[in-house]
Amino acid sequence: MDSKIGRVALGVVAVAAAVVLLVVLSSNDDTGSDEGTGGAASASRPAEDEKGSGGDKGDAGKPAVPTIVVRGGEPVGGIEELSYDAGEQIHFAVRSDTADELHIHGYDIERELPAGRTVVIQFPADIEGIFEAELHESDTQIAELRIEP
Amino acid sequence: MTLLPYAHALVAREDLPIPAWLFAWGASIVLIASFFALSVAWRTPRFEDDRWRPYGAGVSRVLLGIPLQVLCGAIGVLLLGLTVYAGLKGTTAPDRNFAITFAFVTAWLGFPVLSVLLGDVFRPFNPWRAIGRAAGGVFRAAAGQEPRHLPYPEGLGRWPAAAGLVAFVWLEIVYGPSGGIAVALSPDDAAVAALVYSGYTLAMMGLFGVERWCERGEVFSVYFGMFASLGAFAAREGRFGMRKPLSAAGRWAVVPASAAVVIASLGTTVFDGAQEGGLEGPMESVGEWLTDAGLSEIAATRIADTAFILLCIGAIALVYELGVRGMASVRGAPPLDRLRSAFAHTLVPIALAYLVAHYFSLFVFQEQAQFTYLLSDPLGDGADLFGTAGSGIDFRLLSANAIWYVQVAALVVGHVIGLVLAHDRATALWGDYRQAARSQYWMLAVMVAFTCLGLYLLSVANS
Repeated sequence: MDSKIGRVALGVVAVAAAVVLLVVLSSNDDTGSDEGTGGAASASRPAEDEKGSGGDKGDAGKPAVPTIVVRGGEPVGGIEELSYDAGEQIHFAVRSDTADELHIHGYDIERELPAGRTVVIQFPADIEGIFEAELHESDTQIAELRIEP
Repeated sequence: MTLLPYAHALVAREDLPIPAWLFAWGASIVLIASFFALSVAWRTPRFEDDRWRPYGAGVSRVLLGIPLQVLCGAIGVLLLGLTVYAGLKGTTAPDRNFAITFAFVTAWLGFPVLSVLLGDVFRPFNPWRAIGRAAGGVFRAAAGQEPRHLPYPEGLGRWPAAAGLVAFVWLEIVYGPSGGIAVALSPDDAAVAALVYSGYTLAMMGLFGVERWCERGEVFSVYFGMFASLGAFAAREGRFGMRKPLSAAGRWAVVPASAAVVIASLGTTVFDGAQEGGLEGPMESVGEWLTDAGLSEIAATRIADTAFILLCIGAIALVYELGVRGMASVRGAPPLDRLRSAFAHTLVPIALAYLVAHYFSLFVFQEQAQFTYLLSDPLGDGADLFGTAGSGIDFRLLSANAIWYVQVAALVVGHVIGLVLAHDRATALWGDYRQAARSQYWMLAVMVAFTCLGLYLLSVANS
């Protein structure tokens, strides 16, 4: 550590290690983020398509709106994960078999959910972060909204 | 996971995980900075001398004078009283009750940052210290003599504060009825805990003396004082003055078990970060296993969380211990005990970095609530004292990118300052510069481990 050469060698090793780490991690990132944005753009993941086949898929050409079905105060198939990029429109539908009220945290949006009716929810995704959508009657979370920059 | 009542807690919004490219950049900068630090390192200590220059007598007379001390103490007692009152009498919704946000966000997260910037500001506002001193004054006036105290067992050091710190975070994160959701404690539980803690603290102050207990055992004094030791401003011997930043941290850690306080701080923050991502799976598995074994869901969650919070603290302690043992193997090293406390202060900047990285966004958003509707409607019963009860939190204030950059910058800066302090301490402990440098490979490894762990937790949280 005393000699100049030692220090230079150490520096070279450090930079090399950093570069390797950067390359390894950023190559992971490339594939990861491609998947991520792909999923986010359509705002529907494979699981949602299977489950969200509510009947509002009629229009050809239009992307399906994910529909969350609530039965007995619980979301069928668990908490729905919905991803959007900031600036997009958040667009999904909820159908509950009992009357309830939907509350979306952060955005502070509240919507009545009449029993058995499909309610379409749409608003601009202008706050980044992760937000819960929950039912007020049962305090149950039915969806998680992820708004990525 | 089934949600139990109080799922609202305070968190209406959660941070997005930092993206992989930022994680990679953060980790790379940490490595480069570390090796760069090794190659430019200085050979004589620069932060061991905590010489301090007092300001003019007028400044001290105002800042440390009796009127201001009485005023600050009264404000502290008033705020403690309001917290307990709101907790007991106010709404049970944690996000609408003054008590929860004030205790766990405004005070708990605000004082560490204020302490670094302005000095030990908690000291004058400490409600228990104010009550204790007032009681001492009454005693002196009535009995005509100084109150007598038991000698504090020196070996006990700051263990009571370290244990109290873990208990506080346990109450905040683990005990809350929804378990695993940050700040899910119900307001009345918080108020009862505050009353129990007040009774305990005043009793200890009576036994050992107010100032002694504040230095060793009073959780908040010790914890906030730890961060104040990094900063430039301090009062000493009745004068207010300034010193070189970072130079007092080493002296703070001389009291036994100071390392335990820093490790408890790091470990509990790691736990809070890990339960949002890194450890979420294992924690749920243990919880389910305990439920299957016949425990109620809440008991199972609490037991699992308690085990994991202890595990996190243990893991941090283990990494530090490995670093210390590594240093002890370098020729000319001081004894193990001495080493253990000699490098405790080098973790304080990392503990602060963890706090900022983990709670920065929560603090910024929740303070909007604190100064609008929680101030106007502290009990959540529809009052509107200052006309701000209708305001809400503007979550557009911080973009995800802004939060990410603050998080990563905090960790990198904390890491560099930790390295600086560790290197400086080594040059003071080892007479021979080469051995000092060699010992620092070990601390470097410890710091890289902590910083990369912090980055990792941010990258997997809520993902």
